[in-house]
Amino acid sequence: MGKLAIVLASGELEKLQAASIIASVASTLGNEVVVFATMDGLLAFRKDVVENKAWKTAGDLGKGMLESNVPLFVDTFRQAKEVGNLKMYACGMIMDMLKMSKDDFVDIFDDVVGVSAFLGMIEGAQVLFI
Amino acid sequence: MEVKADRVVDARGSYCPGPLMELIKAIREEDVGKIIEVWSSDESSAKDIPEWVKKAGHELVGVFEADGYWRIVVKKTR
Repeated sequence: MGKLAIVLASGELEKLQAASIIASVASTLGNEVVVFATMDGLLAFRKDVVENKAWKTAGDLGKGMLESNVPLFVDTFRQAKEVGNLKMYACGMIMDMLKMSKDDFVDIFDDVVGVSAFLGMIEGAQVLFI
Repeated sequence: MEVKADRVVDARGSYCPGPLMELIKAIREEDVGKIIEVWSSDESSAKDIPEWVKKAGHELVGVFEADGYWRIVVKKTR
């Protein structure tokens, strides 16, 4: 299948969940998967947001996910990094703008990069924008 | 036909992609030729894990329905 790139721009739990499941399964099938978290999709990884499970949800489905036993996207991405070929990148522009550093986020990102670096990484990849 | 598994992964109670991820971890740890079975109470995993096994190039020994869960039996072939 080759290379898959996912841009996480939404902070909505349902979308993050779907992205994490697709990314994790793809990463275990010999695909190189690159995830770029930006905009609200980056803020979903803030330590305080993750600790308090304070994600925005689109509706009842997302609320149900928070209450039930489903693996949440942070853990699914972590697992994918362990078992598959998946790299996670945080958007540097948002961090600069909000005067935040990598320490404000859960320990999941391989690096903080800008758009040019990201575009370089995903040359020839199929891109999903979420 | 019943095959004796070398390793059983009990992923009951977990949802997609939990059971698949548990299986993948076990496959990575075992040697080629070993039989691994994963238990899942999640029906979509019971359908999707065989798809993964096919794509990943392992052998699906079978999917067996048990009492309220599925046993997906896989042979590591590479």
